[in-house]
Amino acid sequence: MHLKSFHHTRALRRAHNIFACCLLAFASIALAQAQSTTPPATPVALGKAIFFDPSLSVSGKMSCATCHDPAHAHAQSNALAVQSGGAFLDVPGFRAVPSLRYLNLGIAFHFESDGTPAGGFNRDGRANSLLEQAERPLLAPHEMANGTHAETVARLANASYADDFRRVFGNNVFDDIDGAFFRMQFALEKYEATDPGFHPFDSKYDYFLAGKVKLSAQELRGFSLFNRPDKGKCLGCHPSTRGSDGSPPVFTDYTYDNLGLPRNTAIAANADAAYYDLGLCGPFRADLADHTDLCGAFKVPTLRNVATRQVFFHNGSFTTLTDAIRFYVRRDTNPEQFYPLDANGVAQKFNDLPVEFHKNVNTSEVPYDRHPGEAPRLNEDEIADLVVFLQTLTDGYDALSNTADPARSLNK
Amino acid sequence: MRAAFSISPVALAITLALGLAALPAAYAADNDEAALRAEVAELRAQLVELKHEVQQMHAAPAAVAPAVAATASAAPASVATLPANADAASLPGAAPMQSSILNTAASATTLYGYGEMNYTRPTKDKSATQADLARAVFGFIHAFDENTRIVSEFEWEHAVASADDQGEAEVEQLYIEHQLQPNYGVRAGLMLIPLGLLNEHHEPTNYYGVYRNFVETAIIPSTWREGGVSLYGNTEFGLNWSTGVTTGPDLSRWDPTSPEGRESPLGSIHQELQLAKARDPSVFAAANWQGIPGLTVGGGVFTGKIGQGQPGFLANNARLLLGEGHVRWQTGPFDLSALYTRGTISDTENLNLTFIGNPTPVPKSFWGGYVQGAWRAWEHDGSAIAPFVRYEEYNTAASYEAIPLGLGVDPLVTSKLWTAGVNYWLNPNVVFKADYQQFRNESDRNRFDLGVGFQF
Repeated sequence: MHLKSFHHTRALRRAHNIFACCLLAFASIALAQAQSTTPPATPVALGKAIFFDPSLSVSGKMSCATCHDPAHAHAQSNALAVQSGGAFLDVPGFRAVPSLRYLNLGIAFHFESDGTPAGGFNRDGRANSLLEQAERPLLAPHEMANGTHAETVARLANASYADDFRRVFGNNVFDDIDGAFFRMQFALEKYEATDPGFHPFDSKYDYFLAGKVKLSAQELRGFSLFNRPDKGKCLGCHPSTRGSDGSPPVFTDYTYDNLGLPRNTAIAANADAAYYDLGLCGPFRADLADHTDLCGAFKVPTLRNVATRQVFFHNGSFTTLTDAIRFYVRRDTNPEQFYPLDANGVAQKFNDLPVEFHKNVNTSEVPYDRHPGEAPRLNEDEIADLVVFLQTLTDGYDALSNTADPARSLNK
Repeated sequence: MRAAFSISPVALAITLALGLAALPAAYAADNDEAALRAEVAELRAQLVELKHEVQQMHAAPAAVAPAVAATASAAPASVATLPANADAASLPGAAPMQSSILNTAASATTLYGYGEMNYTRPTKDKSATQADLARAVFGFIHAFDENTRIVSEFEWEHAVASADDQGEAEVEQLYIEHQLQPNYGVRAGLMLIPLGLLNEHHEPTNYYGVYRNFVETAIIPSTWREGGVSLYGNTEFGLNWSTGVTTGPDLSRWDPTSPEGRESPLGSIHQELQLAKARDPSVFAAANWQGIPGLTVGGGVFTGKIGQGQPGFLANNARLLLGEGHVRWQTGPFDLSALYTRGTISDTENLNLTFIGNPTPVPKSFWGGYVQGAWRAWEHDGSAIAPFVRYEEYNTAASYEAIPLGLGVDPLVTSKLWTAGVNYWLNPNVVFKADYQQFRNESDRNRFDLGVGFQF
C-alpha cells in the first residue's frame, strides 16, 4: 500500500515534469518563430547587412554588392574596364573588379623561400587578409568615398541595423570610432568567410571531381589542353588538381605574374602617358617600390567563374574569354593583333609598362614562350575547347539543364 | 633492334624455372641430408651453449637473445643455413644484429649502424657528376629478456636535413619482437616489408653495385616499411615465413603533375608511418625456402585497398596487388640470383580522368625483373673481391586504364640496363664498390659509380 502510493506520487511528478518540458519546448518554438522574421544579431548577419548597404557610401548609391554582385559571382555585372564611384558616381577607378569568391582561402602576402612573392589580397596583394582588405573600398575616393573612419562610422551609426551592431559589439561601440570601424571589417570578413555563397564549390568541375558527372568530349579536350605541359600549361599557375589534403582546387597558386598586357585606353588614368600601373611595385602599394624586378606583376586570380566575366585581367584589356586566351598564345607570335603599331608598323609590345620594365615580362614559360614565326601553342579550335572547359568552373551547376549560374549558389 | 642478350619477363620466368629445375641436381650434389641435419643440430646446440655461457657471465640477458631470435626470423639467411664457406658479407639476410651474434656485450642493448657514400658520373653529362653522403644510419636492439626485444633504425639521407635542404631524417624501423615459441613469434610496430632480396637487407655490404638495383627501388620501393603486426616463423624443413596486417600506401597523395610517380609508383605514395591514413589495412605474406645450403627460393605478396576511404576521393576502391618471386644460389665462389616482381592498381579510371593532360596518371600495372651473377674471385683473411654483372628490366607504368578520346598517356618504354662492377670487401663490414651502368634505350642515363659503405 505504502509502496503503491510512493509509485503513484513518482508517476505524478514525472507527468508534471513532462508537461513542464513540453510547455518550455512550445515556448521556445514560439519565440524562435517570432524571431525568425529578423535574423539573429551576429557578426555574420551584420556583415551581410553592411555588404548590401548603400547608405554607407557618400553617394548613398554604392554598396560592396554594387561592384561585387553576388549573382555575378561577386564581381562586376557590367563590361566596363573600371567602375566609377565617389559622391556622384563619376570618379573613375583604376583596376577591374576581382571576384570575391574563394578569397577566404587566400593567404597573407609573403616571399617564398626561393624569393617568389605570393599571397595577399587586392590585385597587388597589399592587404594581408579579407579583414584588412575591407577597409579600402569604404574610404577610397573612387569607391564609397568616406575618406575617414569617423565619417564611415557616423553612417553606420545611422544604419537600420545599428542597434544590432550595439547588441553584438556592446552599447558603447560607437564611442570608439576606430574600434567600431574595425568591427565593421570584422563583420564583413566573417560574412565572406562563413557564407557558403562565397565558396560554394558547386561547379560542374567540382561534380566531375566528385565522380558525379562526366565531362563532355570537348570539355575533356579543353581540360587536357589546360593541363598539358606542351600546350596551355595553365595549371602552372592555376592548379587543377586536388591539394595533398584532398581539398578541391582553387585554380590559383597565389603567385604573381607579369603578362605584358596591352594598355587599356578606357582607363581614365591612362590618359596621362607618364602614369603606369605597376602592380606589386606601385603606385597603390609602396613597400615594394624598390623591387623593380616585380614591376608589372599582378596576382594570379582564381579561374573559378572566369567564364562569367565580361572584362579580363587587372586592366580589363580584353572583353571575351576567347580573346584573353588568344592573347596568352599569340602575344609573341602575332603581337600586331594586340598592341598599337608605331610609325614603322612595328607592334609596341608591352606598352603598358615603362621600357625599363619590359624585361620583367614573362617570356619563358609555356604558353607565352613563343617567337615571331613560330606556331602558337594553341590553335583556334583548341582555344575554343579550352573556353568550353573553363565554363565548367562556373558555380551553380545544374545537371538537368547542364547549365551553370553563380546566382544559384546563393542562399544555400 | 633487340640485342642478342635481351631478357624479357618471360625469359626471367624461365630463368627462375631453370633455377628451380636445378634443385634436384643441387640436391644430389649435397644429398647427404642426414649429415646436413646433424650439422644444423650441432650449430643450434652451439648457440644454446653460447647462450648459457653468456647468461652465466652476465646477470642481464645479453645480445645473444637477438641472435636466437635471428635464427627464427624470416630473414633469408638464418645462421642454421650458412654454408660453411660463406661469410656474412656475401649473404643477403645478414641482418644488422647478425654481426653481434657472438657479441657478448655487457648490457642487453646492442648498437649497430651502417653508412654509404657515393660518387656518380653520368657519361653523357659530366656536369651532372655528383657526390653524396647517401645514408648515415644507426640503430639499437634492446633485449628486454630472452624472448622480447625492440629493434630500431634511424637514418639521415643526403647529409643534411632541414627545411631548406633535400635530406631526410627518418625512423626506418621501430618494432617490438616477441618470440612465442622457438619457431615462431610476433612483431608489432614499423617494419620493413619482406618482399624481394633487398628490402630487409639493404645495408651496403649486402648488395652488389654502388646503388640498390632499380627493380627493388622503383617497383618494390626501397626501403619500404609499414606499421602493423606480423607473425614470423620457420619450419624444420627450412622454410622461413612471415605474414602481417599493416598500413598501406595512400593513393589520394598521388601527384599527377610530378615525375615521382613515374620514378616509383609506390615510392611516391607510401606513407612511412607519418600520420599515415589507415582506413584500409593491407596484408602481406612472404616465405623463403632454404632447405638446401646456399639456396634461397622465395616470394611474397602485398595487397590492400589504397584509397584510404577519403571523402570525395574517386579511387577509394583501388586495390594494390604486388607480388614477387626470387631465387638465389650461392655455390662455391658463385653468387647467382634472379627476381621478378609485378604490381597492379585497380579502379584508377575515374581518378585518372581528373588528371587528363597531366604527365603522370596512376598506372594500372608495373613490373621489373633482374638476373645477377657474382664471382668471388679472391678472398683472404676477411677481405674479398667479387666482380659481378646484372641485367635489369623494369617499367613503372607498363599500362594504364583506357582514357577516352585518346587523352590518355602512352605506357612508358621499358627501361633495360646492364650493370657491371666489382665489390671489394676490405673486411666483411667495409666495402668499396665501383660499377658502370649502361641503359639500352636511354643512353643519357649511362653512368659510372663509385661507393664506399660499411656496417657494424
